Amino acid sequence: MCFSTKPSQIYIDPTKSNMVDVLLSDAEKTFIIHGIQDNLRDDGRGCEDYRHMEIETDVVSSTSGSAKVRLANTEILVGVKAELGEPSPGKPDKGRLEFFVDCSANATPEFEGRGGEDLALEISNMLARAYDCPSCLDLGKLCVVKGQQCWVLYVDILLLECGGNLFDAASVAVKAAIHNTCIPAVTVSKDEGHVDIELSDDPFDVHHLDVTSAPCIVTLSKIGHSHVVDASQKEEACCLARLMMGVTEKGTVTALKKEGSGSLDPSSVEEMMETGKRVGQALNKSLKEVLCQEEQKGKKKEQTGFLR
Amino acid sequence: MPTDSRRIAGPESSTNPYNFCSEKPRHELLQNGKRQDGRKENNIRPIFLKAGVVSQARGSAYIEQNETKAICAVYGPREVIRKEDFSMKGLLTCEFRFATFSCRERRQHQQDVEEKDYSVQLLEALEPAICLDKFPKAQVNIYVTVLQNDGSALAAAITCASVALADSGIEMYDMVAGSSVRVAGKSLLMDPSYQEEYKPEEDTGLTNSGSVTVGLMPSLQQVSAITSKGEIEFELVKQAVAKCVEVCTQLYPVLQQALVRSVSEKEDEDG
Repeated sequence: MCFSTKPSQIYIDPTKSNMVDVLLSDAEKTFIIHGIQDNLRDDGRGCEDYRHMEIETDVVSSTSGSAKVRLANTEILVGVKAELGEPSPGKPDKGRLEFFVDCSANATPEFEGRGGEDLALEISNMLARAYDCPSCLDLGKLCVVKGQQCWVLYVDILLLECGGNLFDAASVAVKAAIHNTCIPAVTVSKDEGHVDIELSDDPFDVHHLDVTSAPCIVTLSKIGHSHVVDASQKEEACCLARLMMGVTEKGTVTALKKEGSGSLDPSSVEEMMETGKRVGQALNKSLKEVLCQEEQKGKKKEQTGFLR
Repeated sequence: MPTDSRRIAGPESSTNPYNFCSEKPRHELLQNGKRQDGRKENNIRPIFLKAGVVSQARGSAYIEQNETKAICAVYGPREVIRKEDFSMKGLLTCEFRFATFSCRERRQHQQDVEEKDYSVQLLEALEPAICLDKFPKAQVNIYVTVLQNDGSALAAAITCASVALADSGIEMYDMVAGSSVRVAGKSLLMDPSYQEEYKPEEDTGLTNSGSVTVGLMPSLQQVSAITSKGEIEFELVKQAVAKCVEVCTQLYPVLQQALVRSVSEKEDEDG
């Protein structure tokens, strides 16, 4: 059970940055909570259903890899830039992966100035944590000269429209964008102590990273006595506690985080994790299929543009 | 890296000498069922917890788990300075800091990403336990400084901060006890020390390697915080969470005792 003093008097805290711009009356909230109890949500979904998701890769030609994800009215654009840099001292034989989230004020005026900073930090920290395990992504492939040069992947996440469930959408977009990333081939030659790095002239002489075991984030929102995946903005406003999980295709958990001002019963934590694992594995599987299709279509595919 | 121009910043660039270690000595986490410091898998380190250590603060506490030492001070409820932060609920802020010398590598004065992440996690662990509706339009500030980090710093910070909050007399539903566990292979090591803690840069070759931290409100039996790092099999995550919940429940009398002692000390002072 979700714990709070008076469940009927939940209101949106203006200081909570991830609850963007929805005002619901108590009656509307009760309606949503009761619906979820009967496994029927206000848009007709069941508790474990995602909204319609569209994924498109290779959308920005100035990047090494990019992807756009539209989840109902949440729109996220991810661009990956590969640059040469120094490896971190702790991992001299690995490349680096850096996440940056930009909350565009287009999405909501609350993000103006430094308004979106907290949310941006939360998303990038969660992604960094989910990807921070040796088996998720083979960063050893990004090493160029051990201890001196490696590829740094700057993963920039741009929120274009906020319609709830930003974390899941962002993680799907990141996985798709990394899948799409082309890392140019380099040749390293050593003579008399100093190292020469030469970049291949052929634009098709590139290699890709394997994202099969990369995680997707699944957010489970506790609403009333039940929990739902992929909460819409309205549902997020009714939710006091969320559990976010980084789940891989194998069903392992790479990151776990409870978020929100409420607390959870240990038994419901377990239930939520069960659901998260099941849903996460299914999400990874269908994402893999979609990414395979995208790859086969190649350049011939129809471009659809943003924010439709 | 942004630097603070008002501080004297040591050498412009320096490297941690440990990076030049030729081959880092690999320690086995468990030898004959015993850990490096002689504990068993399930044993936690002894805890010293004392409330009322900072005289100016409204409430404060100090925690020591062998070499992990943290201090926490609570200020408020006081007026919210920024008008736009108006809220019918009280505002809670948390600042988690590592002292610059507290870890193996020196830390910067400015809050880094890890500290910011811990601040948010600490805030979310404590928020469910506080009756925020009792002080509208006001804020409560919680500051935690880790003086020495020998593992499980976040768990210690959660425990320490909740005792400090209770010591300040702010109305709460319950206290929050924190505990963490290191998952390595099939074994679960409770309350890991710095050496045992999960470090993503170390490739242990284990399929299951990570850590889980849980914050629990013991008398309500409600989980207020969960975080994990590293890749762990699903069944083991469940086990790890259950173990942490169990340990947090065991910690509760320690928290109570610290509070009772601080109250009776205050009474003695008042005569």
